[in-house]
Parts: sequence; structure tokens; C-alpha cells
Amino acid sequence: MKEFVNKNRYMTMLLGLLAVILVLFTITKGSLLWTGGTWKGIVMQFPEYGVITLGIMFCFVSGHIDMSFVALGDFASIIAVRYMAAHTPENGTNGQIMGVILVGLLIAVLIGALGGVINGVLIAYLNIPPVMATIAMQLVWLGLSTALTQGYAVNGVPALYTEIGHSNVFGFIPFPLLVFIIVFIICAFLLKFTTYGEKLYMLGSNIKAAKFSGINTKAMLIGTFVFADVVATIGCMLMVSSNNSAKADYGTSYVMQVILILVLAGVLPDGGLGKITNVVLAIVTVQIISSCINMFKDLNIYYANMIWGGLLIVVLILGTKLNGEGLIRKKKKA
Amino acid sequence: MSEYLLEMKGICKSFAGVRALDHVNFKVRPGKVMCLAGENGCGKSTLVKIISGVYTRDEGEVIFEGQPVTKITPAEATRMGIQVIYQDLSIFPNLTVMENLAINSEITAGVKFVNRKRWEETAKEALSKIGYNIDLYAKMGELSVADKQLVAICRALLFNAKLIIMDEPTTALTKKEVDALFTTVRQLRDSGIAIMFISHKTEEIFEISDDVCIMRNGKNVYSGLTSELTPDQFTYYMTGRELTNDRFEPKNISREPVLKVDQLTLPGNYENVTFSLRKGEILGITGLLGSGRTELALSLFGLNNPKSGTITLNGSQVKITSPMKAQKLKIGYVPEDRLTEGLCLQQPIADNITLASLKRLSNALGILKHQDILDDAQIWKEKFSIATDDVRKFASTLSGGNQQKIVLSKWLSNDLDVLILNGPTVGVDVGAKQDIHALVHELANEGLAVIIISDDLSEVVTNCNRVIVMKEGRIVGEMDGDQVTEDNILEIIR
Amino acid sequence: MSASAGSSRLKRMTKRTEFWIFLVLIVMCIFIQARSGGQLFTANTIVTILRSMCVDGMFAMICLIVMVSGGFDLSFPAVAALAYSLATTICLNNGWCQTNPIAGFVLSIIIGAVLGMLNGWIISNFKLNTMIVTLGTQTFFTGLSMGLLKMKEITSTLPAGLASFGKWALFTVKVDMNGRELSYDMTGMFIPFVIFCIVTSFVLNKTMFGRALYAIGGNETSAERAGYNVKRIKFILYTVVGAASGFVGMVRVCMARQSIPKAMIGKEMTIIPAVILGGASIFGGEGTVFGTVCAVAIITVVSNSMLLIGIDSYWQDFFNGLIILVGVTVSAVQAMRRNK
Repeated sequence: MKEFVNKNRYMTMLLGLLAVILVLFTITKGSLLWTGGTWKGIVMQFPEYGVITLGIMFCFVSGHIDMSFVALGDFASIIAVRYMAAHTPENGTNGQIMGVILVGLLIAVLIGALGGVINGVLIAYLNIPPVMATIAMQLVWLGLSTALTQGYAVNGVPALYTEIGHSNVFGFIPFPLLVFIIVFIICAFLLKFTTYGEKLYMLGSNIKAAKFSGINTKAMLIGTFVFADVVATIGCMLMVSSNNSAKADYGTSYVMQVILILVLAGVLPDGGLGKITNVVLAIVTVQIISSCINMFKDLNIYYANMIWGGLLIVVLILGTKLNGEGLIRKKKKA
Repeated sequence: MSEYLLEMKGICKSFAGVRALDHVNFKVRPGKVMCLAGENGCGKSTLVKIISGVYTRDEGEVIFEGQPVTKITPAEATRMGIQVIYQDLSIFPNLTVMENLAINSEITAGVKFVNRKRWEETAKEALSKIGYNIDLYAKMGELSVADKQLVAICRALLFNAKLIIMDEPTTALTKKEVDALFTTVRQLRDSGIAIMFISHKTEEIFEISDDVCIMRNGKNVYSGLTSELTPDQFTYYMTGRELTNDRFEPKNISREPVLKVDQLTLPGNYENVTFSLRKGEILGITGLLGSGRTELALSLFGLNNPKSGTITLNGSQVKITSPMKAQKLKIGYVPEDRLTEGLCLQQPIADNITLASLKRLSNALGILKHQDILDDAQIWKEKFSIATDDVRKFASTLSGGNQQKIVLSKWLSNDLDVLILNGPTVGVDVGAKQDIHALVHELANEGLAVIIISDDLSEVVTNCNRVIVMKEGRIVGEMDGDQVTEDNILEIIR
Repeated sequence: MSASAGSSRLKRMTKRTEFWIFLVLIVMCIFIQARSGGQLFTANTIVTILRSMCVDGMFAMICLIVMVSGGFDLSFPAVAALAYSLATTICLNNGWCQTNPIAGFVLSIIIGAVLGMLNGWIISNFKLNTMIVTLGTQTFFTGLSMGLLKMKEITSTLPAGLASFGKWALFTVKVDMNGRELSYDMTGMFIPFVIFCIVTSFVLNKTMFGRALYAIGGNETSAERAGYNVKRIKFILYTVVGAASGFVGMVRVCMARQSIPKAMIGKEMTIIPAVILGGASIFGGEGTVFGTVCAVAIITVVSNSMLLIGIDSYWQDFFNGLIILVGVTVSAVQAMRRNK
């Protein structure tokens, strides 16, 4: 037990937090919390940003930050939805429509990949600090979307697309949750079982040493941004199905939320740190908090912000202890 | 007035129960250069921090100008006239020379507003102390290391310094710059200032110091006049062992060279470098800082593409354009700066060891064989006697010597033809140093071609059967067998 | 001597980012002036541009001093929003600020300072990434404002003292537009903006506190060794920055004649890039008021004159992004060259 705690400090903390929240809300709103509807809501809602978070985790592990992913994903989904809206035949068969949807998705993924390549090149080849490069790209993508749509939502998502998004696979797994699970399996596999994941952690903790060990750091970085941004774009395509449209500023609050979840899970943007299981735990914790807050009629969603922000600060301060003494400034005795 | 400026008696200091300083005694005379020598981790820097007031001593007596001093704080140390010039020089690269010079005294004076006129006066006064001339408005970060150092010295002099402590000041200097620095040091000495010079380089210590204090494992093992000491005795006191003559004897040299470098040139770095290396050889490349030795090594590892000339490996001409390519060509490189270039400190030891051989430790799809990684690391742990109980612990938990063993293992676990070691034992304790040397000998005799790049002449002499001396980017001498002696190298190097 | 000193000074000047930013501003203005048929340099356009520069310019000053110290503040819009929302609500409930805006400003500044202190306490006591810390406090403050305190939009009921202060005009430009006379007010809020610039410049260049910020941004360890109380300086910095954010937030309320708690969300994403465009380094120790003002001017001029040169204003964000991208690329490439 003690060994587990010592080895998995973040996980222990998150589990403890989750337990406290559940107990607290069971006492106050138990009758509402433990209903099928609430939990269905929870598993329907978190995959959207959960998928994005898993992708961006790769950037963080590599020691880089990305601020552009939501704007990029929105742009990609705007183009994809426009394509789908224009090419869906009026009375087409499901097969025909499915074809259009797949092409639309492919377009979105390609745009996501393009965004990843641009981020990667700006950072790896032009040595622009990641925060700056991706904030600028965020403005560029947002600007393109705004210019194309004049700020309006793009409608015309094929009904089939929304239908699939709201369907239950095998009758009980909500489709977004299935996507999340698949993405999770791929990410976990990459991070834990492949040389790529191994190199990514090493590169994140010291990029120069990785370079001196014969790792192609530039290619790794570009690949990582492509992967992260493609996964984030998939998350944004899930958003399209729940909103039944695409818009330049959907999900802008996810930028901060994703960073918050990652830090909560111990994946710091300094790189080389963090476990994917903790990230999933943090995603679920954050969703449960906001779902619980939703149950109180007199509490609005901004209460969740307050709790998240407060949590982030507390975790950061605790983190100076959780990650060993390396992060805390040594007390100087005069 | 006492004969000594500073006397320290029976100084003890422990950190978390570990004794870093054990009854250290030494004395500094005014107007003399006192050298504090010792290998890394012997307690030199702890001692300096006690003198400058950063740490408080546990036990012992400090007498400054005949007066016992009970408690030293940094401010108190400055007031008494003690100034430390740290290795990183404590400068502000983004500010002008003038501001760098003036800032400390302005803070000490508790000034609230900027007075550039006074700054300029202060700065000029500081520079005049050693008659040094530099553009006051130049940005500090754009100066050379030597200039930065002189500015730092000038700044220290502003405080009516009686004792200036210089922490390894020559590490990043070229020979010419070292000479200039020594001239300044002598000038200061003659004006009555005591200099405490921290170093581990034998030649420099004998050149500059009047007194010497040698430390080993937290104790001072010798203090007295430098002139009463021979270099051999000095090394003995430093390392605690007699200078053994277990020189490397090549046993297994191939006939054909494995690596041939012909007329390799990169303007501004090195020019017309030609040499060859056979299997089983250990070739030393030595030269002062800025002689082009590191630049050449980086070129052989694909990180500094040469402009002209050829590299031939196993008979075929190659272009080494990246470390990946070098690795494919079976060239390994152990970098100069272990912490920034060699290790991922916050990652497990095992992962560090296997970082360069992941291809071998995974299947065709790039899926890792976790058990093989641990086994591989375990093998190296035992072979190199790396001091850890678990290879899954972070690399940061190890000492410098053991960390260097990891960096070496990382390359040795690859199938290599050529291994380039740049400063393989910088900052490594004696025991680990011996382990590393022994293993390199063994590997060479098994048929590896090794290049050792080092400015530690005794290391070069005991480990290399052939030595190339570089100076200002060119090869100025080559010697092999019995010709390889410290004297012979020194003669060419100057 | 003086000639060579002069030429070396010129050389130093051309090396500085703000020199180039200033050149870009001039060239861009000339270009827009030419393309728009002389519509940029007209009294009404200039008055409009200066008006829209005020709040962003002051926020940029706040950002600048934090960046000089090597920090990265994402929370200043949230601090401002919480400060002005709470302050106007208090004024409204107590019937204050009917004739003058003083109570509102004082309250907003105090609230801002308190919030800033929280930032300062965390940042000075724990060695943490300031960007992540302020991301946390930003989220927290936003939640506090709109969740716990339930701040409401105050529009038509805004206390008269605040509303009339916002209408304060230095002078009015009258333009004849197809027979109709349109008048453009030169906002009095330009005065606090100018004062902000002067004060920031004074603090950064003429006080030891300002030099301490540059020193800390340049090398924190050295600053500590030189004798600066880095912890205290950081605490004061973030407190002052919080107070200043409260002030600027209130200026915005007055100018817009409404207090909208959500209005500041995302503001940091446009201000910070502008400050960096102006020559501040995210690694700290670099940046000037002049460069920052020029950068803010560039972005404001571009946004305000897109229509003049026949580009749909929906392209505004795109061009802002592009300008910033080019700016950071140029400075990154320069830095790379220097290191070679």
C-alpha cells in the first residue's frame, strides 16, 4: 500500500479527490447523482475534450505546449462540415452519405495534420518558443475560420453524422465513449509499448541528450505535433456531432481546460513526465465535478471553473512535493 | 595585525548527517595567491560557501584580520571585503556592461532611483582598478567569456575587496585568455589583495599560486607553500594514490585503419585535419579550449558538417550528416557536458542506458521488449559496477562518476566501430575514473577504435597509445608510443 | 570620439527590435494611407484608432513589466474582470459614483491588488511555471466572479459618475460625411494611457525596482547573489500588476459604459503576442515601452484600417495572427543567427 502510494502519488491524489467529491455529492445530492441519466451524461460529455486532452498530452510529454489545437480543430471541422453539407445528396442512401462523411472526416484529419506540421516546423526548425508559435497559429486558424464563416455557425451536418454521434454501439456504449476508448488504447500503446513513446519521454526530459543519442529530434517533434493535432481534431469532430454544426469559436474554453487536466494529472509542460492513466482519471474527475455542479439549480457552470482553478493551484503547490524536491526552491539560510 | 588575512580552524559542516567538511584548517595571506585544490566533490565549494556566508558552519573558528568572526552572512562577508566570483560569473547577459558593474554597489547602498551618471562613474572606477578598457554600453551577453570574467573581477574590486575567491575561473578560457587572466591576478596580488584560486589543473596551480591547500573527501590533506611541493606529490594528495604507470598497451591493432580523415576543413573551426585510426587503438586528441578539438569531434558525429575534406570509414567514403547517420555508421560519441548533453536526469537509469540501442531492444514494429531493456541495463550495471540498487531509479540519484558510466554504457551497448570520448572523466571521482579507464582499455583490446578528447594531460598520456595535438584549428603535432609524455605535449601545446 | 560613439550608438539602435517595429509601423501606415486614398491620416480615423488603443495599450504595459521579469501572466484579464464587476456592483448597490468615478476606481484597484497578491504569493513562494500558475488563478478568478459572486452584466444602470467619466472628451473632431456632420470624440482615457506609458517607462528605466525586474529576468540566481530580495520584488510586482489591471478594467467599463463580467475572456491571447511582437522576450529581461506601444499601434492600425483598404473586417484575427507569426519568426531566426 505504502509502496503504491509512493510510486503513484498523482494517482493516489486523484483517487482521493474523486472519493471526496463522490462522498460529498452523495450526501448532498445522492438521489440525483446515482441515477443512470447522470452517468450517461458524464460518459457522453467527457469524450469530446477527453480525446483532445489525450492528444495534447503528447506535446506536454515532449516538453512543448500547444495553444492552437482548438482553433485548428474548429477550422478543420468548418471545412469538413462545409464539404459534407455541399456533397450530401438530398435523397442519398446511407451508404452514399457515409462515403461523404468519411471524406469529410479525412479532410478534417488532413487539415489537423497540416496544422501539426506547421507547429512542428515553426518549433523544431525555426526555434520559435512553442507558446509563441502556437498562440500565433491559434490566431491564424481562428482568423481563417472567422473570415470564412463571418462568425456564423456552419450548419448542414448530415443527419446521419449526428445520429452516429448519438448512437450506442452494441446498444450500450455511447459512440463518443467508444472513440475515446479507441484513442486511449492507441495513445497508451504508443506511450508505453513502443520505441516512439520511450524516445518521447526521454526527449521531453532532455532534448539535447536525446539528440546526442542519435534520435531524430526534429522528426520526432513534427510527428508528435501531427499526432497531437490530428487527435485534437478528432475531438473537435465529436464536438460537431453534439452541436450539430461547426463554428469558429466552439470549445475555446477547452484550451485552458485541457492544460488544467494535464497539470492535474502530473503531466507538466516541462516535459518527460506523466502517466496516461492519471490523465484519464483527471478527465473523469473534472467531468464529474462539472456534472455534479450542474445538479444544483442555484449553481452555474462557473462554479466548476472556480473549483478547477483552485485545484490546479493546490496541485501545483503539492506537486512541488509530489515530484520530489527538484521543483521546490531550496530554503536558503542567511 | 595578524600575518594572515583569513584563518579557518577546524571547520565542520554536515548535510543531512553526511559530513561534507571535516575539521578543515587553512590560512590565507594578504597579497598572495592561495590555491584551493581538490577533485570534484571534495568539499571545495562547500568551503567557499561558508566563507561567503551562504552556509553556516557547524563547528570551527574563523579569524579575519585577527578578529574572530562568529557568524558570517553574505552581507557581512561583502562588508569584510570578501568577494566570490562564481563559475557562472553571476552576470546579467541582458544588461549593459555599465549596469552590470554598477548594480551591486547600487543595491548595497539601498538606492531607489537610477542615476546613470553615477553608474558610469562607478563603472569607470571599476575598470580603472585593473586598467581594463571596454565599451560600457556593450551588452554583457555579447562579450567573450574572458571579457565577462574581467568585468566580474572589476565588479568584485569595487567593494574594496581584500579577498577575492575565484571558482574555477579558467574552465572556459583559451590559453591566451588564461595568460591574460593570470597577469591580472598577479597585478591584484601585488596590490595587496589576497586571491583564493580554486582549480584542479596541476599546471595552472604551479604557475600562479604561492600557497596551496589540497582537499580530499572533506578534509584538507595538505596546506603549505606551493614551492615545497612537486607535481607528483600534488597528484598524490589530490587523488590519494600513487601515480601508477598502468599505461595502455595496445595489443590488438588492426592493419587497415577503420577511420581515415583527410584534409577535413570547416573554416573558423578547424583546417586540414588529417589522421587515421585503427582498430584496437586509443587515439588522444588534445589541445586547449578553442583549439578545435570539440568541433572536430562533433563533425565526426554529424553535428557540425565540415566544408571540405573526406572521411573514410572501413574503406568507403562517408558523409556524416546527423547523429542518426553516425550511429548507423557505428560511431558513438560521449559528449563533453554530461548533464546537458548526455543524460535525461529525470528518467530511469535503465532507459538512459538503452536510449541509443532501442532498435535492438524492440521488434520490427517498434514495440519495446521491456524485459530486455531491464536485462541490458542490469548487465551494464554489473559490468561497470554502477552504484545503484535498482536500475529503475532516476539517473539523478547517482553521483557524477556513476552518471558518466551510464553515458558510456549507452554507447557501449551498441555495436560500435569507433567510440569518441570527449572529456570522459571531467568531474568524475577517482574510483569511477579508474573503472572507466580500465573498461576503455579492455574494449580497445577487444578491437574497438577509441578517440579520447581531453585537456587532462595525465589522462591522455596514460590512456592513449597515440596522441594528436591541436592548436588553433590545426594539427600541430603527432606522437606515438614512448614519445607520448606530458612534457612532449606541453612543449607543442604552448 | 563623438562621431564614432554616434555611429556605434546608431549601430546599437538598428540592432534593437523596437527600431524595426517602429519602421514597420511607419511603412505600414504609409502603405495604408496610399492604398486607402489618404483615409488613414484623417482626424476621425486617427481619433478612432487612438481610442481603441487605450485599453489594450495599458494592458500591454502590464504584460510588459511581468515579461521583463521573466514571468508570464495569463490572469490579468480575469483580475480586471473580477475587479471591475465587483466594484461596479458595489457602487451600484450603495448608490456610489453618482457624480464622480473615484469610488469605483478605488474599489477596483483594491480588489485587483488583493487578487494580484494571491498570484504574487504563489509565484514568489514556490518555484513554479508562472504561465501555469496564472492559468490556474485565471480560471479561479473567472469562476469566482461568475460562479460564487454571480456577477451580472450592468449596462443601462451603470452609475452615472462612471458613465459620464467615460464620455470625457479631450476634443471633438467634426467630419462632413455626404452632407451629414459626424463628430468623433477624442477620448479622455487617452490621458491615463499616456500616464501609464510614462510611469511604466519611468519604473523600468529610472528606478532600481525596474532594473531589478530586468536583472531577475536576465538571471535570477545572479540577482539574488547581487543582493536583490527576489521574493519580495516578485510579490510587489504581481500586487502592483493586479492593482493596475483593476484600474484598466475600470477604464474599460467607463469607456464602454457597461460592465460585462465575460468581456475580458481571452484578452490575454491578443495582448501577450502584441507585447512579444514589440520586442519583449518570453524568457525575460528584454522589452521596452516604446517597442510595446509600436506593436500595439501596428495591431490596432491593422484592425481599424482593414475596411479602408478594402479587406473585410472578418480577416482581422487572421492578419493579427500573421503579423505576430512573422514577428516571432524574425526574432527567433535572429536569435539563431546570433548563437551561431
